[in-house]
Amino acid sequence: MRPGEAAAWAPASGTTPRWPALFPAPQPVPEPAPGPVAHGTRPRQGGVLLHDVRWPLTDEETARAYGGGAYGEPEPRLQGDGLGEHFADLGARPSALGWAAGEALLAAVDAAGLSGHGGAHVPVAVKWRAARQAHSPLTVVANGAESEPLSVKDATLLRQRPHLVLDGLALAAEALDAGRVVVWLHGADGVTRRVVQAAVAERRAAGEPGPLVEVVSGPSHYLAGESSAIAAGLDGRPALPTVRRPAAPGAPRTLVHNVETLARLALLARGLPSMDTVLVTVVGPGGRHVSEVDRGSSLVDVLHRGGWPWGEPPAGVLLGGFGGAWAAWADLQRATVDEHSLRAAGLSLGAGILAPLPAGVCPVAETAAIATYLASMSARQCGPCLFGLPAVASSVRRLADSSAPRGERRRLAADLRTIAGRGACHHPDGAVRLVGSLLTVFGEHVEHHARGRRCSGVRMLPVPETP
Amino acid sequence: MTARLRVDPVACDGIGQCALVAPDVVVLDRWGYPVVPEGPLRAGDVAAARRAVVSCPRKALWVEEHARDERAVRPGADAVGRTRS
Repeated sequence: MRPGEAAAWAPASGTTPRWPALFPAPQPVPEPAPGPVAHGTRPRQGGVLLHDVRWPLTDEETARAYGGGAYGEPEPRLQGDGLGEHFADLGARPSALGWAAGEALLAAVDAAGLSGHGGAHVPVAVKWRAARQAHSPLTVVANGAESEPLSVKDATLLRQRPHLVLDGLALAAEALDAGRVVVWLHGADGVTRRVVQAAVAERRAAGEPGPLVEVVSGPSHYLAGESSAIAAGLDGRPALPTVRRPAAPGAPRTLVHNVETLARLALLARGLPSMDTVLVTVVGPGGRHVSEVDRGSSLVDVLHRGGWPWGEPPAGVLLGGFGGAWAAWADLQRATVDEHSLRAAGLSLGAGILAPLPAGVCPVAETAAIATYLASMSARQCGPCLFGLPAVASSVRRLADSSAPRGERRRLAADLRTIAGRGACHHPDGAVRLVGSLLTVFGEHVEHHARGRRCSGVRMLPVPETP
Repeated sequence: MTARLRVDPVACDGIGQCALVAPDVVVLDRWGYPVVPEGPLRAGDVAAARRAVVSCPRKALWVEEHARDERAVRPGADAVGRTRS
């Protein structure tokens, strides 16, 4: 997630060269991108979630260019889909009230293979089956608090199609007989909050059937979108990750779905195509480009659509954001954005983030910056994360500086093995995955640093400054 | 029945009593926090694991028992934004 303060972002200039510096010639941009969010060409076809949007590279730039805080946007562009247009496009929302209707929707979800789009890709049917077997009070949450600073697809979706997400939330709540229904947002995203609140009010005024929906702004830290942190926050405790300890029977439960997952559920329940596209954020020279791409699209095409320059291929691509992993360019040329085939190759798009690393940029320096940021974003609750991530980040920084003592890589690998899987949440696992992928994908480059040789040390990715 | 030793890393303060009373089951990492076996406990280790549970001043450990072949069901388990490979 974004840090709460826009000031926490790295300055646009300074020691870090800007993206375009590597690409002095004008680059072809496939789609006109007038601003960070323009709602003029709203999609009209049933199965389509959103149209392309290009956001500035960092939230700080967004705030500077458009006002209104880290997720700012000029007021006239606020309106998403109105309820009238929404139902005219897609038809009324089917009901999932009652056991039989819930069971039918569950069967449809299972048959379609709908899985979570927040990054973990857990099959929705698995969560629902467990939830329908229990009887204690249930809260269903639409999670729009994106956990990666590089990702803006959830904010884009909520702003363009709030009613589609609210449809999906109502369907999930009805199918699971939830007592409490919540849209959970990142604390710094005031614009999206206003859009969603307006959509909720519009539905109530129109007498649209469905559960009463609370819109809740979470905190502004990196872990604001972590599901156990959401559960704790909605229970009135600090919104920090917790461990699932043996629960007393009858203890309240919280089920969290990503907003894109719910939007797809709303299409699926209407019998519309729901699974043939993926929402992605491509981090390129021109900013963070959100688009909806066909599941079978090649990764190369997706990068180009996101504004990646034709010509020199990147050295590699960061898939899944800061808690994701580096992938070698050679392994991606025939890859598609389909999560199943990526997983078969040991890769994952996580929440749909692709950040190409231009040739000539130092992957060790990039990873050192990201690892330092991730260490600073620890909730500081669990020892392995509180002490382990700074140790890992220091190791990678020493490698980046070519000042590592002998055996640094061995110690680093041992620390990674020690930390993996030992936090309350998967925050440390994300850092372990990222640094582990550096050692395997860019092994030769790391070796170069480990031998004390210098390299350009150029960094490109917009990594937030550590507070 | 199989049994696993589990740690709540939020509750754990790295006091290390568990490793003192059950050195064959719990080892401490280089920051002093317990590392427990990932899989089911060997039958001979269950008693030691229970000693570790009782010894913890933070009540951060527990033994999780389930019938053999039964997969641990975690209703609503969701690692939002995190894949676990």
